[in-house]
Amino acid sequence: MATGRDVRDMLGLPMGGEAPKAAVQKRPKPAGGTRKIQGVAREVAALYGERPPPVAVYEESKSYRAKRQNTGPAKKWEQQPFRNPVRSDGLILRHWKRKHTTAPAVQPSEDATMQDGENTEPYIDTCSDYAKYDIKVDLPTFTDDEYDAYLRSDDWSREETDYLIQMVGDYAYRWAIVWDRYDFQPSLAHETLENTNGDTDQALATMPFAPSKKRSVEDLKARFYDISAKLMKQRIPEVQMDAEQYSTYEMLTKFDPVMERNRKMLASALMNRSMDEVKEEEFLLTELQRINMAANRLDAEREELRARLDAPQHNPAVSAGLQAFTSSQALQALFQQLFQQDRSKKRASGGGTGPGRLSLSANDMVHTPGSAQAQLSAANRRQSMASQAVAQTPVKHLSPRQEERFNVSTHDRLTSGVTFGSDKLLKMRQAKSNVQTQKIGAALAELGIPDVIPIPTSKVGGTFEMLVTKLGKLLDVRKVREKEEGEVRVLQNMKDGTKEEKMDTETKEEPEDENDDNPNYGEDDADAAGEDEDDDDAEGEEEDGDEDQDTNGDGDGDGDVVPDDLDAEGEDESSVQPSRATSQGATTAGHKRSASVFSQGSEERSKRIRK
Amino acid sequence: MNIPNSSTAPAAGEYAGDEVSAIVLDPGYWTTRAGFAGEDVPKSVCPSFYGQRDTESDTQHYFGENAIHNPLGDLDIKNYWGSDGIVEDWDTATKLWEYAITNRLTGTKATDPTRNGLNDGTNTNGDAMEVDIDALDNQEKPLEESPLLVTEPGWNSAKAREKYIEIAMEDWGTPAFFLQKTGVLAAFASGKASGIIIDVGASHTSVTPVLDGMVLRKGVQKSPLAGNFVSNQIRHIFKQSAPEIPLTPHYLVKSKTQVDAGAAAQATYKTFTTPPTDSFRLNEEERVLTEFKESVVEVWPGPGRFSNGTNEEIAKNTPGRPFEMPDGWNQVFGAERFRAAEGLFDASAALTSESSPRPKDDQTIPKLVQAAVLSVDADQRPLLLGNIVVTGGSTLLYKFNERLNYEINNIYPSTRNKLIAPGSVVERKYAAWIGGSILASLGSFHQLWISKKEYEEHGASIVEKRCR
Ligand SMILES: Nc1ncnc2c1ncn2[C@@H]1O[C@H](COP(=O)(O)OP(=O)(O)O)[C@@H](O)[C@H]1O
Ligand SMILES: [Mg+2]
Repeated sequence: MATGRDVRDMLGLPMGGEAPKAAVQKRPKPAGGTRKIQGVAREVAALYGERPPPVAVYEESKSYRAKRQNTGPAKKWEQQPFRNPVRSDGLILRHWKRKHTTAPAVQPSEDATMQDGENTEPYIDTCSDYAKYDIKVDLPTFTDDEYDAYLRSDDWSREETDYLIQMVGDYAYRWAIVWDRYDFQPSLAHETLENTNGDTDQALATMPFAPSKKRSVEDLKARFYDISAKLMKQRIPEVQMDAEQYSTYEMLTKFDPVMERNRKMLASALMNRSMDEVKEEEFLLTELQRINMAANRLDAEREELRARLDAPQHNPAVSAGLQAFTSSQALQALFQQLFQQDRSKKRASGGGTGPGRLSLSANDMVHTPGSAQAQLSAANRRQSMASQAVAQTPVKHLSPRQEERFNVSTHDRLTSGVTFGSDKLLKMRQAKSNVQTQKIGAALAELGIPDVIPIPTSKVGGTFEMLVTKLGKLLDVRKVREKEEGEVRVLQNMKDGTKEEKMDTETKEEPEDENDDNPNYGEDDADAAGEDEDDDDAEGEEEDGDEDQDTNGDGDGDGDVVPDDLDAEGEDESSVQPSRATSQGATTAGHKRSASVFSQGSEERSKRIRK
Repeated sequence: MNIPNSSTAPAAGEYAGDEVSAIVLDPGYWTTRAGFAGEDVPKSVCPSFYGQRDTESDTQHYFGENAIHNPLGDLDIKNYWGSDGIVEDWDTATKLWEYAITNRLTGTKATDPTRNGLNDGTNTNGDAMEVDIDALDNQEKPLEESPLLVTEPGWNSAKAREKYIEIAMEDWGTPAFFLQKTGVLAAFASGKASGIIIDVGASHTSVTPVLDGMVLRKGVQKSPLAGNFVSNQIRHIFKQSAPEIPLTPHYLVKSKTQVDAGAAAQATYKTFTTPPTDSFRLNEEERVLTEFKESVVEVWPGPGRFSNGTNEEIAKNTPGRPFEMPDGWNQVFGAERFRAAEGLFDASAALTSESSPRPKDDQTIPKLVQAAVLSVDADQRPLLLGNIVVTGGSTLLYKFNERLNYEINNIYPSTRNKLIAPGSVVERKYAAWIGGSILASLGSFHQLWISKKEYEEHGASIVEKRCR
């Protein structure tokens, strides 16, 4: 629970509210009386120590009680005679009611009819509070003619039919009870049943009935439903029935006593199973449950495994199931994604770049930002927050231009809460290792980018991210270069004499590269470009193999080439790879800058991309 | 904000309570319970045994705990219930009930001693009495102001039911009356409208299927295997043990000294100029036996029956329970304490003698339940088995519910059977009364009362129509 103090703290307001708050807490204390606390409550209060309790619940209840004591003198109650309107016999009972006061004006809320209670003759209230519980059931009614015309049955006398209907009414359609109490005695029934009428004798005379048939619930129901259905049809012709009536009618006509009886037999057979049978069923059920659970677990595990192996599967469209691919856009995206996968696989096998390099496709995903983004999010959540600048696939309604205009951005997934753009910028400056962070900081300082960027809009963030990505690569390259330089130096020392011609040829190539690349550097990177040039100069003696590794990205190349640079490796993997993915087309220059300086192979590649 | 307490009226619609100072009377074989509807426990619990002393001119009745345990000479102790579980001695029943009501609840009215029914034995002619009472001021009738709800056993005869309303209306002048079965009320006390109610009282065990507050009459089962049967079994145990365990009731003992377990009692006994009758002694012995039931007797909790061989061995290894007779004789009871109540569940395990033959198999509680369930519509059976309400004093026997649970699950392994047994002794013993107390204090019950006017119009047969 956040208190006002917390809120103030959050908003950075001064804690000026402290003083009145303390006063509020203290005030009820003398009123409630610290001395008055007794028993357990006193001990609880003692636990608070010197400080006032954090929540003033106790005081509240105290003040409530104090108020309650002042409600005035006890109200008088009296035994009020009353009549229940549902009773036809006018039984008068007495219940306790508040005695109304003699002054009528004081309590306007009091019922006006109660004012004459002071009269000498006792006032008898009418209490209809419970009249609503007097419920009568609807029963089918018929005349003698109707009975003769439609309702005659070989099995049922008129007398018994009447008895049945009366029973159903008496027990409010509770068939189990109707059947339980059903005790029809044809000959004796004359005296006991009031509602038997004249034609009983006649009916009895015309049809000899077996006395007191044993009827099952189904027999009773069948007869009753039959009567109801026939009468219903008589009152409302089938065609005129509305839907509800017709469904009732259908239900009534479709009642099948034989089926009901069979069903009940099955039900009771189910109940009368022996312990062994029940145990067996229980065993089977638990077994089934176990199997189901195991299957579910297996599915979940497989799903997880799949998700891990196939990073692109993280595409929310895929995880959302087939429905996600109903729109042509989604299908397009899927196609591209599959295409990329296919291609990267081919490359992996044909290009001899080694296994586990699915992320090679990063360069190819220039046109499928969605999947690239998915990959990104799978690989690095931290950086994904800075990915707004990446051109989003216009999934919804706005064209990219409109989006830009209205500053709308769509997100595959939003993290909850509020983040500050400046935070993001700050985070981007930080790599996993301190060394790397310092290096990035130094590089940024070199570029003249201030520590605090004034207005960190998402665009600025994007641009900044690109810059940082490039920086990351730059740093990678530098590192590699240093290693290679060292090696070269060693080799040079070893074979000083023999290598001189080769060095000459390499240095010749260098100016070519620079000419090619310089126009590609972003306008904002003019400084950096210059700096790169410096580096490149020094890297003159790079070999082809190195280039390959680096363009393949991932910093994996570092690992291969520089096995002792372990801490740097981890950081490279996490930060460089995704940042490349995010930067996509926009970072072509970056790729080139880092790659081209090494050799012609990179040049070829960048040319292909530009195409 | 209004925190409800004992002095605030409940909010309208909170519950349909609306008391009309009704009195609830729950007559049982062991005790007769009476109290005001709306209260938690019956205020007046008085033994259903009464003392009767015949002098040459007159028959005197003694009611209440104090009177019947007073060892007067030639005081016969009787019970107004018949062996079939229906009131037999209506005249005394009326007097005893009136005593139970007036003694603690309404207070006796200053009436002519010959007419208030307590002392008369001369005026037994019903017709003459009716005329007599009609002539009197209504105020003299004991229940002039209170509606009366009486409980009846599930197997009550139509004639007996009419007798109830006649007594209430004619003798007591109650303005409104209702008769309800104990099974239904016991279910209500547990908050159930449907269920199977197993009531093991003193004279009878009954199993009553109830659906929506109505007894399924075909399913009502009763058997004499109840508290008295258990007492009888204990007597058998005492007799058959060697040496025989003496059963000396309290009133015979003047003072006792402590003796070792199993040793003969060393007590000084009281002497009486006119020794109390046999029936008095039997009743006093019954008190000791009830103590024994409370503190020693244990029901074999299952699984399996006690007499299946291995269980007896297991029981032998459990620690025994000690008991001391009023005269100081004492012993620790081992496995035999399981045998007293085993007959309730297993007829073949019942101890028999010439006077008490082996009970029939279908008189045991599991068989009663089975019969009751079988006579209910198949659709309702699972519902009922899910609400098995256990009530009656004898269900307080130690481990009774465990055994009952085992037996029922043994018969019906595939349904979800649930025993509902109130934990407190009072609620278990007086469940029917408590249910009546709830029912009679409901506002929605106002319309169900049979009023005096209706009784006068339709006669006593109105109970058949109204109290279904
Ligand atoms: N704690 C107890 N343990 C065992 N039996 C008890 C206990 N208390 C009472 N009884 C027995 O219960 C019977 C009385 O039960 P009750 O339900 O009051 O009978 P009734 O409804 O017939 O008056 C008596 O036989 C008495 O011995
Ligand atoms: Mg009872």
